[in-house]
Amino acid sequence: MDARMAVRLLGRTDLFGSLSEEDRMAIVARMRCVQFLPEQIIFSRDDTRREIYLVLEGRIRLSILTSDGRELSFVQAGPGSIFGEVAAIDGGERTMGATAMTRVQALALPQRALLEAMEDKPKLTMAAIGFLCMRLRKADQHQTGLFEEVQARTKQLQESLNYQRATSEVLDVISRSPTDVTPVFDAIARSAARLCEAFDAMVLRVDKDVLRLVAHHGPLPAGDIALHRGTVGGRTVIERRLIHIEDLQSEVGEFPEGSALARSLGHRTVLSVPLLKEGVAIGNIQIRRNEVRPFSAQQITLLETFADQAVIGIENARLFEAEQTRTRELTERTRELAESLNYQTATSEVLAVISRSKFDLQPVLETIARVASNLCAADDVVIYLRDGDALLITTHHGSIPVPLGARRPIGRDWVSGRAVVDRRPIHVRDLAAAENEFPLGWELAKQHGHRTTMAIPLLREDMAVGCILVRRLLVQEFADRQITLLRTFADQAVIAIENTRLFQEIAQKSRELEIASQHKSQFVANMSHELRTPLAAVLGYAELMQEGIYGALPEKSLPILTRIRSNGKHLLGLINTVLDISKIEAGQFKLNLAEYALGRIVDTVMVATESLAATKKLALRTEVAKGLPYGLGDEQRLTQVLLNLVGNAIKFTDAGEVRIVAGAEDGHFALSVSDTGPGIPPEECERIFEKFRQVDSSNTRAKGGTGLGLAIAREIVEMHGGRIWVESAMGEGSTFRMELPVRAATAAGAT
Amino acid sequence: MSKRILVVEDQEDLRAILRDFLSACGYTVIEAVDGAESVAKAASEHPDLVLMDIQLPVLDGYDATRQIKALPGLAAIPIIAVSSFAMKGDEEKARASGCDDYVTKPYSPVDLLRLVRRYLGETAQR
Repeated sequence: MDARMAVRLLGRTDLFGSLSEEDRMAIVARMRCVQFLPEQIIFSRDDTRREIYLVLEGRIRLSILTSDGRELSFVQAGPGSIFGEVAAIDGGERTMGATAMTRVQALALPQRALLEAMEDKPKLTMAAIGFLCMRLRKADQHQTGLFEEVQARTKQLQESLNYQRATSEVLDVISRSPTDVTPVFDAIARSAARLCEAFDAMVLRVDKDVLRLVAHHGPLPAGDIALHRGTVGGRTVIERRLIHIEDLQSEVGEFPEGSALARSLGHRTVLSVPLLKEGVAIGNIQIRRNEVRPFSAQQITLLETFADQAVIGIENARLFEAEQTRTRELTERTRELAESLNYQTATSEVLAVISRSKFDLQPVLETIARVASNLCAADDVVIYLRDGDALLITTHHGSIPVPLGARRPIGRDWVSGRAVVDRRPIHVRDLAAAENEFPLGWELAKQHGHRTTMAIPLLREDMAVGCILVRRLLVQEFADRQITLLRTFADQAVIAIENTRLFQEIAQKSRELEIASQHKSQFVANMSHELRTPLAAVLGYAELMQEGIYGALPEKSLPILTRIRSNGKHLLGLINTVLDISKIEAGQFKLNLAEYALGRIVDTVMVATESLAATKKLALRTEVAKGLPYGLGDEQRLTQVLLNLVGNAIKFTDAGEVRIVAGAEDGHFALSVSDTGPGIPPEECERIFEKFRQVDSSNTRAKGGTGLGLAIAREIVEMHGGRIWVESAMGEGSTFRMELPVRAATAAGAT
Repeated sequence: MSKRILVVEDQEDLRAILRDFLSACGYTVIEAVDGAESVAKAASEHPDLVLMDIQLPVLDGYDATRQIKALPGLAAIPIIAVSSFAMKGDEEKARASGCDDYVTKPYSPVDLLRLVRRYLGETAQR
């Protein structure tokens, strides 16, 4: 560049000129409203010039003077002060004016602009504008160039450093403020405005159909921006791309709303970058300048970095919030689970006590009072039970003194009384504030100091049989969960009350039945004695008469006496059977264990029944194995059993034989009584051993018998530890079989 | 001289049967209607054998037996309990109180006679 100046044509509206002069002043000149071409710019060192010295505080007033001294003034807003010289500018015919816009650089030297004034404006052609001539030496020029280069380099480094500082500052804010994204946005707005040399910076977030301003830094008014294509922010979000406008004021066609706002607020160059999260635009960052000066590539990159950081901040905060929420939910859930587990444990504890304590209500009520006091955080728990017109204090757990066993008349003037009368829970937040409603309750509260009080009635079939009272010394209402728990306890208490009542009833009934049964057994025993005595007389006299003690009797009377005696003996057998059954039922049937010989029992039965068999012309046979061991058992009872079996066999058999077989195998005796009678239907083979059973009741009438003999026989055999059963088929006779342990267990009721 | 048997029985009929039967068999029958009388009769009459009912007024058969056996010279007298008790343990109680044997009512007079003769050391003849 020669001694003149360097001028660079940058755009259709602006001409930037950079020039230096001897006193090292840097000027950026900007010419407006004129279309210039590089070749049209004429520099002339020898041009006549006039120097104009302008100092305007806060504003730069550059004047272009015509050769006749007229000033073509142009005022441009901008920071800083300037010393400038306006030289003649050659302009075209249609030049409306020319301006040199200086931006003050950080130079210590006096700043001057030297502009050559236009000599004669009308004469100027569009193609020839004289511009900014300087008295500058070439050496100076070179020096200045180096200086500027160093200056620019320093500036670049400084900027990079600043950018890095800014981005790390934002990251720092992000890490320091994980829950709240606002400080992040604030830091971004502040840094963006400063480092991008913008007049202000805005951070906006999509909120339905508007871009909500979430952070702002700068003197321009700022607010929400409509989310549509007519605004820069809206377009950024909609198209999800960076938008860089050199002069928004002139973009009436593209951004009608945006440019209208720009004209009203005065900003010109605008840069907007979207906040993209997974491809979706969730907002934007927008920076503005009050001048037409595009942002550098570095600044754009910086703003994009800020946009990324804003998204990271947002995402961080969201994740943190989600994590927090989850943690809170987990904590709450855990607490609820623990609580409900406690409640369940408590209720099942009560149930366990209920099932353990069938006859005694008190342990149940005490358990309820204790766990209710713990789980409801009550200072005490009182359980009242109804006793006529009063409530009786039966159970207490807690620190408030209570007179156990005291009675209070049921009435609506105290909390428990009212719960019982109204048959519903009564929950009083503060007895001190319910003095009028519960006068007696308040009296008690004054004595003992309780405030929050709740009574849950114990309801059985719509009747309140008592209540559970919980109290607190502080005013603090019981929670719904606690009320529900208390209701459960109330239900359990009612179940326990009912259970106890039923169990006591049953126990009472059992005792009565037992006594009645004993009375019956005694009665049967007495009756049996009373029946035996006259029978003994009848049989005795008959026998003596038959023996001729009272003299000779007519021949015909002798068989009659035999019949009297036989019927009497039969009656005696019946009495004995009834007595046995009554002993069995009373549990008094016991065995007298002693050594016995099975063969002797068979002989006894044989002797006792052979005449009867002979009468019916039946063969009675016995087969007793040789060398049978002695048994241990009740000989008399076993004889009774065999006698019964043989008697039955003879009774029900009309022709053929009855056979008794006795043997031993595997440590037990095997006894059987077989007949050639009519047999027993299979379905009857088990039932005949039940009490009062016979195969056929018509048959019973024909054959006689109580139907108790086999029941008694089975009882006796089983008491010996053996078993008895019948094998039979219709028309093929029956075989009753017994298995008896050779030695009966002494535990079988033996004395 | 015929053997003398003390029949202790509160029931008139049963007493009559024994009296008639034992008299017919050649024994002298002394009668008592309750336990206390039986002790008195045993002390005064010194019978050869006692047939003792158990359920008796005033003094029951167990106590009467004990008292009779305690009388001077009567420790060895045979006493046969004749009882209509049929509950378990009755026979044990009778033997424990000193009875030599135990017969349940109703008994066959002929069987009873067999028992009496055995205790009196007589042969089986009428």
